[in-house]
Amino acid sequence: MLDNNITEIKESFYSDIKSVSSMKDVEEIRIKYFSRNGLVSQLFEDLKDVVKEEKPILGKKLNLLRNEVSSYFEEVKERISSSSSGKENEIDLTLPGNNYIVGSKHILTQTLDEIKSIFKGLGFSVANGPELESDYYNFESLNFPADHPARDMQDTFFVSKDFLLRTHTTPVQIRLMEKQAPPVRAIMPGRVYRNEAVSARSYCMFHQVDGIYVDTDVTFAELKGTLVSFAKQFYGSDLKYRFRPSFFPFTEPSAEMDITCYLCHGKGCKICKNSGWLEILGCGMVDPNVFKFVNYDSEKYTGYAFGMGIERIALLKYGITDIRIFFDNDLRFLKQF
Amino acid sequence: MKISLSWIKEFVDLNDISIEEIVAKLTMSGLEVEDVLDQSKLYKNFIVGFVKTTEKHPNADKLTICKVFDGKDDLQVICGATNVSAGQKIVFAPIGSEIPNGNFIIKKAKIRGVESNGMICAEDELLLSDDHSGIMVLNENLEAGKPIIEALNLNDVILEIAITPNRPDALSHIGVARDLAALFDRDLIIPEIKLNEVKDDIKKLASVEIEDTVNCPRYVAKVVKDVQIKESPKWLKDRLEKIGLRPRNNIVDITNLVLHECGQPLHAFDLDKLSDHKIVVKSTKSETNFTTLDSKERKLPVNTLMICDGNREVAIAGVMGGENSEITELTINILIESAYFHPSSIRKTSKALGLSTDASYRFERGSDPNITKYAAERCAQLVAELADGKVANGIIDVYPEIITPKEIELRFSRTTKILGYEVAPEKIKNILSRLGLAIKVLDEDKLLVSVPTFRPDIEREIDLIEEIARINGYNNIPMVSKINITLEQKTDETEVDEKIRQAATALGFFEMINNPLQSENDAKLTGNPIRIANPLSADMECLRTSLLSGALITISKNIKQGVKGLKLFEIGDAFKKMTNGEIKTFSDFTETQNLLLAISGNEQNKGWNTEEKDSDFYLLKGLINSFLSKISLDNVLIDSYYSTANEIYAYYLTKNFKEVELGRGGKLKNEVLQQFDINQNVYCFEFDLSALKSVQSNSKTYTDPLKYPKIIRDFAFILDNSVKYLDVKEFIKKKSSQLLKVVSVFDVFESDSLGTDKKSLAFTLEYFDESRTLTEEEVEKDFNNLIALITKEFNAQLRGK
Repeated sequence: MLDNNITEIKESFYSDIKSVSSMKDVEEIRIKYFSRNGLVSQLFEDLKDVVKEEKPILGKKLNLLRNEVSSYFEEVKERISSSSSGKENEIDLTLPGNNYIVGSKHILTQTLDEIKSIFKGLGFSVANGPELESDYYNFESLNFPADHPARDMQDTFFVSKDFLLRTHTTPVQIRLMEKQAPPVRAIMPGRVYRNEAVSARSYCMFHQVDGIYVDTDVTFAELKGTLVSFAKQFYGSDLKYRFRPSFFPFTEPSAEMDITCYLCHGKGCKICKNSGWLEILGCGMVDPNVFKFVNYDSEKYTGYAFGMGIERIALLKYGITDIRIFFDNDLRFLKQF
Repeated sequence: MKISLSWIKEFVDLNDISIEEIVAKLTMSGLEVEDVLDQSKLYKNFIVGFVKTTEKHPNADKLTICKVFDGKDDLQVICGATNVSAGQKIVFAPIGSEIPNGNFIIKKAKIRGVESNGMICAEDELLLSDDHSGIMVLNENLEAGKPIIEALNLNDVILEIAITPNRPDALSHIGVARDLAALFDRDLIIPEIKLNEVKDDIKKLASVEIEDTVNCPRYVAKVVKDVQIKESPKWLKDRLEKIGLRPRNNIVDITNLVLHECGQPLHAFDLDKLSDHKIVVKSTKSETNFTTLDSKERKLPVNTLMICDGNREVAIAGVMGGENSEITELTINILIESAYFHPSSIRKTSKALGLSTDASYRFERGSDPNITKYAAERCAQLVAELADGKVANGIIDVYPEIITPKEIELRFSRTTKILGYEVAPEKIKNILSRLGLAIKVLDEDKLLVSVPTFRPDIEREIDLIEEIARINGYNNIPMVSKINITLEQKTDETEVDEKIRQAATALGFFEMINNPLQSENDAKLTGNPIRIANPLSADMECLRTSLLSGALITISKNIKQGVKGLKLFEIGDAFKKMTNGEIKTFSDFTETQNLLLAISGNEQNKGWNTEEKDSDFYLLKGLINSFLSKISLDNVLIDSYYSTANEIYAYYLTKNFKEVELGRGGKLKNEVLQQFDINQNVYCFEFDLSALKSVQSNSKTYTDPLKYPKIIRDFAFILDNSVKYLDVKEFIKKKSSQLLKVVSVFDVFESDSLGTDKKSLAFTLEYFDESRTLTEEEVEKDFNNLIALITKEFNAQLRGK
C-alpha cells in the first residue's frame, strides 16, 4: 500500500514539477509535498502504521524518495529563482551603476604631458623656472637690446623697471646653461604672460614649452630631424611640414615650422588663412650672443632651441574656437577631457 | 606691408615667373606673404555699367531702382547709395560675381518686392579703399560693358608681407626686389636719377646744422623752387592707393612714393615757413607742446629729437612734421629732408608719444644712412617732373662721421658646421653678391664680406650664414634622423607635480587653471600683492598671493552654472611682495609653487541607491591624508588643529614638518564666501608645494602580511563634550600593551539621553603580534586595564556594560 503510494507520489511530483515556471509554482509544490502536512511528510506518517518487518525497507525507500525529490526540488527552485523568467524576484539590470567620479587633469596639462613624453623619449630633461622674471633673463641675455623693436614682438607686463612677467619660457634656457656646462638637452614648460587684449584668439596668459640642445656639432640638420620626429609622433606620421626663415633675437638662423592644415589638408581654409599651412613652433640655432651671456664658447659649442605654444596646439587638436574657455574652469568643460 | 607686384617688376625682371612661385619663394625666404590680392582674378566679372534711369523704390525710402546698361542689355538693379543718379558710369557686379570684401556672390534677388539683377559697387566693397560713403563713380568716357580690369587698369597683384623686425631693408619695394633678385638669381635695377638743376645755389637758399650728431648722424636737404601744389597724376595716386595709402597732394605723394620705393622716409617743408630758411636738429631741453600736421597738440618730453628752424620746432624728427611748416596749396618753395636718425632715439620718441608712423617705423628699425642722398635726389627729380619745380643747384649734406660698410669674415667650414650640410662656395658667393654684399676671397675657406649699411641686421658671421641658409632654402637643409644619446642622468623637475596630479585626479578632483592676474581686492586676501605697472584692466592689476581667491571665483561661477558638487585642484605659482619699495631683486618678492584642493557641495551626486553626502571638514581631512599617502608623505607631516577662526577659515588644520607649516586649510568663513558670492560651504586646503617637495618622503619598504590572527575588541565611553578624540586615542596608545597595534573610532554620538554636554565615543582596538598567536587572557587583561584607566582619566563612563 505505502509502497504504491511512494511510486504514485514520486510520479505525481515529477509531473507537477515539470510545469513549474515561477516561484509561485515552486511554493505550491513545496506546500503540496514538503510542508508539515505535505504528501511526503504524510508518507512518513504512514510509515508508522506499517508492519515491523517492512519498516526498514520501506523506510529506506522513503528516505531515498525524499532525498531524491527534495534535491530535485531544490535544483528546480534554484533554477527558477535565478532565471529571468522568475517574475517575483526579477532584478532590473538596466538601472544605472553607482556613480564614482574620477577627476581629470586640465586639457592643457594633458597636451603638455603628451609633448613632454615625446621629448623625454628623445633624451630631453625637463626644467622649470620662475614666472616673475628679471629683464635680464627675459630679454637682455636673450639678445633683445633695450630700446629695440624686437621687444615689440612680446608685449610685456612690468612690475617694476627691471622685473616683469616672463613673456616666454626661453629665460629658463639661460638659467639652465648658467647652472651646467654642455651638453645641455632639456625642455622647459611653463606659463607666460603677454600684455594683449583678451579675445577669443588671445589671452593675457598662456603656456609654452621651450627646448634647447647644446653640444659640440649640433647642426640645423639635427634641429630639423628632432622637430620632425616630434611632429610626426604628435600629429601623425603622414604629416607634411616645412621650415620657413623667421626672426627671433636669441636664435640665428631662425625658423618657423609649419605643418599641413589638419582641417583642409593643405587646400586652404579659414583656420590656416587660406595658406594650407599651420605654424606650430619657432626654432633656430642658438645665437652666439646668448652663449656669450652664459660663458659658453660659441666656437666649440653649437646648439638649437625651439618653442611652442600649448594653447594653440590644444585649440587645433580639439577644435576649440575660443581660448578663454581654457581659463573659465567651467566643470562642464573640464569634465570632457 | 603691402607690396605691388607690378611696381616690384620695375626693379627686377620677373615676367616669366608665376605669382604662386613668387609668393612661395618670398615666404620660404623669410618674407612671409600673408595675403595675395590678385586683382585680375578678383575683378574678373566686374564691368563698367551705365545708369540710364533711376526711380524711387515703391516700398523703401532709401533704395533706388536703376536701369543699368551693361553693354548689351538694360538690367533692373536696386541700389542703396544716395549718390546714384542717371547718367553715371559705375562699377557693375553682374549676377554670379563675388564681392571681394564680403566673399558673397551676387544672385538674382527680390529686394522689398522688386527684382534686382546685380549690384552697383562702392570702393570698400571692391577693397579699393575703405570708403563706403557711396558708390564709386567712374569717368563718363568709359565704355559700358568694358571689364574694369582694363577700364581701371586693375591688373596688379598686391602682396601683404609680414616683415620681421630685423629686416628694415625689406620695408620697401626695392628692398623686397633685392631679395627676389637673389632668390631668382637676377639683376636688381635701381632707377637712375637725372636732375636738371637751375642755377640758384642751395647753400644760398637754406642751411642745415646738427647739434645732436649722436641721434642725427646725417641730414641731407634738397631745395626745389616754384612748385605747383596740385593733385597727383593718376598713375601716382593708383600706385599709392594700391598699397593702402591715401593720396593728398603731389609733394606729399612723391615723398610717400620714394619712401615705399627705396625705404627712406622723407619730409617736405614749406621753405618759406622756415625762419631764416634754416634747419637745426636738436633735442628739447624742457617739456614742449607741439602741434603735428594731423592738427594734434602733443606734449613732448625732455630730450625729444626735433627739427627746428631759426627759432622754433618744425617737426618731430623721424616721426611727424609740424603743422607750422607743412606744405599747403600756397607753398612755392620746398625743402626736402632726407636724414638718418639713430633708431633708439626715434623709438623712444614714438613710444613716449604713442605715435607710430611709416617714417618712425622704419627709422626705429634702422634705415640706411647712405641712401639719404639718393632718396633726396630721387624726390627732387619727381618734384621737378610732377610739380613743375625747379631744383636748386647742389645738395646740403651734413654728415660729420661717415658710416661705412662693416667687414665680416665668413668661413665655409663654419657654414657647414652650423647648417649641417655644405653649400658650394660658388653658390655662397653668388647669394651674397645678389643680396648686394661685396665679397673678397681671403683663402680657400674664407671670404671677406663687406656689408652695406642698408643691412644693419648683418653684424657677424652667423648672420651671413643665415642669409645663405634662407636664400638657398631651408628645405635644402637635410634632416638628421638619428638622435645622439647622451649618457648623463636625465632629470624631470615636473615629476612630483605629475604624481600629485595623478593622486588628485584619482581622488575625483578636476584640475583648474586660473588666471594669476587678479583684482587687488582678491589678491590681498592672502598676502601683500605685487602690482602690475601696466595692467590690462583693474580686475587684473595684481598677482595672486595664493591660489585661494582664484579657486573661489571658479567655485562661484560653477555654482551659478548649476554645478554644485565640486572637487577642484590647481597647481600654480603665487607671489608675495616682501618689500615696501620697488622690486629690484629676486629677494624683494617670493614666488612659490602652490597646490590647492577645494571641495564644496555634494561629494557624490545622489544616485538611486546612494545617499547624498555633503562635503565637510572630515571629507577634506580624509582626502588630504589619502592624497599625502599617494605621494608617500602621510606619516611624515604633523597636524595642528585650530578650532577658532582666522581671517580666512572658520576652523582649520595645518600640516607641518619639523615646526614648519607646509599647508593649511579648513572651512571657509562665511564673510569670505560672501565676498565671492558663494552661498554654500567651501573647504579648501593649500600647500606650499615648493616646500612640500623638499620634504623627504618616507621610502617604501615591504612588510609581510600578518600570519597570525588579530583579536579585536570594542568599547564605548560616555565623555564630556570637551574631551577630544585624539587625546583619548593617544592616551590609549600610551597606556596599552605593545600588542595593541591599531586604535580607531567607529562611532561618535551626541544626545541629551547621555546627559548634558556629553558624547559617546566608540573605539575598535586591534591586538596582534607578528610572531605569534595571542591568548584571550593577555588581551582581556590589557583591555580591562584600559577601561579602568580611561574611566578615571577622562571621568568617563563605559557604555553598555
